[in-house]
Amino acid sequence: MKKATIVMIAILALLMLPVFGAGSKEAKPQETTQFAWVEEQGVNGLPGVNPIKVSGNIITAGSSTVYPLSERMAERFKQEGYSGVITIDSIGSGAGFERFTVAGETDIANASRAIKAKEIEAAKLIGRSPIEFRVGTDALAVVVSNQNTFAKNVTKEELAKLFSTAKNWSDVNPAWPNEPIQRFIPGTDSGTFDYFSEEVFKNNPEPMLSAQNLQLSEDDNILVQGIKGSPYAVGFFGYAYYAENADSLSILSINSVQASKANVDNGTYPLARPLFIYSDAQIMRSKSQVAAFIDFYLSYVNEEVIGVGYFPANDEELEKGRQTWLKAMNGTY
Amino acid sequence: MRPMAFLEKDVASMPTQNTQFRKKHRLHERIIEAIMFLFALFSLLITVGIVVILLRESYLFFSDPKVNLLGFLTGKDWQPMIDQFGFLPLLNATFTTSIIAMLLGIPVGLFVAVYLAEYASDRMRGILKPTLEVLAGIPTIVYGYFALTFMTPLLRMLFGQERVEIYNTGSAGLVIGILVLPLIATMAEDAISSVPKELRLASYALGGTKIETTFQVVIPAALSGLSATFLLALSRAIGETMVVALAAGAGPKLTADPFKAAETITGYIVRISGGDVSYNSVDYNSIFALGLVLFLITFTLNLISRKISNVFHQEYE
Repeated sequence: MKKATIVMIAILALLMLPVFGAGSKEAKPQETTQFAWVEEQGVNGLPGVNPIKVSGNIITAGSSTVYPLSERMAERFKQEGYSGVITIDSIGSGAGFERFTVAGETDIANASRAIKAKEIEAAKLIGRSPIEFRVGTDALAVVVSNQNTFAKNVTKEELAKLFSTAKNWSDVNPAWPNEPIQRFIPGTDSGTFDYFSEEVFKNNPEPMLSAQNLQLSEDDNILVQGIKGSPYAVGFFGYAYYAENADSLSILSINSVQASKANVDNGTYPLARPLFIYSDAQIMRSKSQVAAFIDFYLSYVNEEVIGVGYFPANDEELEKGRQTWLKAMNGTY
Repeated sequence: MRPMAFLEKDVASMPTQNTQFRKKHRLHERIIEAIMFLFALFSLLITVGIVVILLRESYLFFSDPKVNLLGFLTGKDWQPMIDQFGFLPLLNATFTTSIIAMLLGIPVGLFVAVYLAEYASDRMRGILKPTLEVLAGIPTIVYGYFALTFMTPLLRMLFGQERVEIYNTGSAGLVIGILVLPLIATMAEDAISSVPKELRLASYALGGTKIETTFQVVIPAALSGLSATFLLALSRAIGETMVVALAAGAGPKLTADPFKAAETITGYIVRISGGDVSYNSVDYNSIFALGLVLFLITFTLNLISRKISNVFHQEYE
């Protein structure tokens, strides 16, 4: 029996080798042809990208909120000639950072919240220092089914009750029906969950998780399905998923402020939050396709972001991202 | 000395080529034998490996100071993120879906088996058996979408939109029942077919009709084989994952109402591992503890099922 265990562990160890090995193959000295994609004509100070000349694969993972935007940018990148494979996993911001900073498997982490100090520390341990690029703004949408005719607006206090202690709709607002609330919210590993618990529950997820009739999922489409299913269902997720399902869902205004471009821009919509992608200068230098994709992303994101269902970040933030890119790539091309 | 001498003489008189034929070990045969043994060993090692890993990771979970075994087994709330570790809601949902599956699967499967074994003409059997095999070959994720997009709307039409939630254990249970139907039908048919012909003939000789023979002689005689089948199907239903992950719900809830959403053990495991939570968190370790529970349940059921079917084989052989 003991022998069998030892043999087993040996086999497992052999199987694990390629996994551990993957982390250490970085920085290949082939700088000369690597940056063939750089073009004279730049956009807003960043060098131009010719996707036809970009080669190599790109691996990204993270927020399901950022996912549709990254997906759109990747599609455009491919349409304009990029021939490599770009992977975008929609697994939640936390898990995305985990794969970027602990496992070190990904080149880019998508996130709907800023990176935490302990995640930066974790990254340091594997020799990465995450750098941040702001790509847009999401107005987190609190939605009900369009069969729901009574709820149009909630105050932030009502929002807190709606997603925690209230059992029936009438417990939140006496004018609403005496029917149980069915809640559909993003899973605990998503940036959206973190953001909501921070914004509405002062960073304490406990009341939200002890609510009755609670369904959690990292898959926003499961939430959409669930909310569509009953007039007494309520949930929240990134604005893009509302935009995509606007024919069957209704969005609630918060403190009587609607989620619109104007209200997000002037900062009055209470649940507006930044969307980011993260990478690392070392990765961008050694895998020039990553630098090319981020360059492309930052250059054209404003043309795509509204179509996906989000709002452009303000110019200052975008410019900061461009400067970060230039600093990271200084002298390589 | 005498017998010894006799023996020697006996050996000496044997044809020499015969002994050679018996004693010669061909090298390549030994190699092939060794390779096959290694493969057999490999499957054993994998099983051992799985058990070792399950035990080790579950130990991590149970050694967490916030978790205690009694609370785990009797607690009514499961939300590891906020230190609620009672697994009853998950277990309850698992049993709800499985029992509903059995309520559909056992009678229907049994009737299909009786028809196939006792009544069907060869032509009919030729059509039905491949159809069942097709049913058995459908990926379970397809069954999951079938539950969500067909069974749930059907239930909601029959019992009312208000009454039936969009995700509910009833719909998932019924579809698991359909999923295990081919398993029950084929295994039950085997059990029924292996009842000796003499029993049927004896019944006819006593004046029994076909239906009396089938239900009062053949089925009771096949009962142990059938019970083994049902237990195996139950263990399959308990372990079923994709259907419940898609259709049963994504939040732990202790309810006996099959029209309400509730999350099963497998559904929870799939949700947590799909979200890729941090490897060191108690959420992550909890899925191994639940995996261990699941493994123990299905392992016990399979063991009982084997015992019963062994008894059954002894009866008539």
